[in-house]
Amino acid sequence: MTCSKARKLMALYAGGDLSERRTRAAGAHLDSCPACRKELEGYRRALARAKAAAGAEIAPDWSEGQWRALMARVMGDATKRKKEQAGRVKSVPRARWAAASGAAAALVLAAVMLLQNGSGFRPGSVATAPGAAEPMAGVLGDPSAQDVVSVTLVSQETGLQVVWFFNRNFEWKGDRE
Amino acid sequence: MRMNETEKELVAMVLAGRTEAFEPLVTPYRRPLVALAYRLTRDREEALEVAQEAFLRAFRSLGRYDVSRSFRNWLFQIAANEARDRMRRGARERAALEDAVHDGSRAPGPEAGREGQEVRADLMDCLSALTPREREVFVLRDIEELDIRETARALRCSSVSVRVNLSKARRKMRDAIRARHPHLEETR
Repeated sequence: MTCSKARKLMALYAGGDLSERRTRAAGAHLDSCPACRKELEGYRRALARAKAAAGAEIAPDWSEGQWRALMARVMGDATKRKKEQAGRVKSVPRARWAAASGAAAALVLAAVMLLQNGSGFRPGSVATAPGAAEPMAGVLGDPSAQDVVSVTLVSQETGLQVVWFFNRNFEWKGDRE
Repeated sequence: MRMNETEKELVAMVLAGRTEAFEPLVTPYRRPLVALAYRLTRDREEALEVAQEAFLRAFRSLGRYDVSRSFRNWLFQIAANEARDRMRRGARERAALEDAVHDGSRAPGPEAGREGQEVRADLMDCLSALTPREREVFVLRDIEELDIRETARALRCSSVSVRVNLSKARRKMRDAIRARHPHLEETR
């Protein structure tokens, strides 16, 4: 190894940061080169001084009050995060329940419509509740305006019936008991 | 340096919701972390802020901490990243400030009358001669004594990059120490 090449490795050699192969090669050169050994000593002294200086340095530090405040901030952060997580846990089922309830209501509605209409909802036909003698006045009065559907809800306990009427756009048009 | 059993238990406690275990977990690293931040930033106030943010970040990301690693090195990694982020954010302002400080510290003065403490502090000022990356590598490897692999991991770079920067940093530090304190060189 030449002096030029050895000196390029010297900084890392001084801290033991070369691979084994390079360490051996550089070591062999150093054994026979006083000038490079001097170079190595310069690095080692500088490293030792920097470490000693770091050890003797008075680094800044928090006062006890500041440290307590920092730890309190961490605890506060933890509490805040717990609350946020709890909020997320509560809100997700709420949203899911809302969606599920909506879907269930739609299904019930569709099922009732199917039952009422036999083979299904046919625009242009009038569906009325069983036993509902007359279509609702004003809503079903015009035979040409047949795009009306009625939904009958029957209480199994009391036998009370409620009929809801919707137009083609499924807008509520009235009810009848 | 691997994580000890007490630290593992404390980490588990914090993760289980017993946040009061965080303080005994990090208290041993209170001063080392601030010292590291100070060496990286060379600014006392900035160092305290970096360390504070590092502790907060450590708390928030404790769930992602790999317990097979040294907890100290993991904290150092967070602090080094925080210091780097801050230095990038305020690069211009700090550069101007550092220039001003530099000019002052280069002013000639009798070294013989200085206390040893001041001389040592001056030696640490030699870190200012390094680029931010070289300083990070030098401080983590040579002052905090992380090995090359841990230094690379902390700085999210390759071992080759660490070696290249470390080599440059050591050369600059040697030259800076020689230039500032020639009498110290001669006494050896």
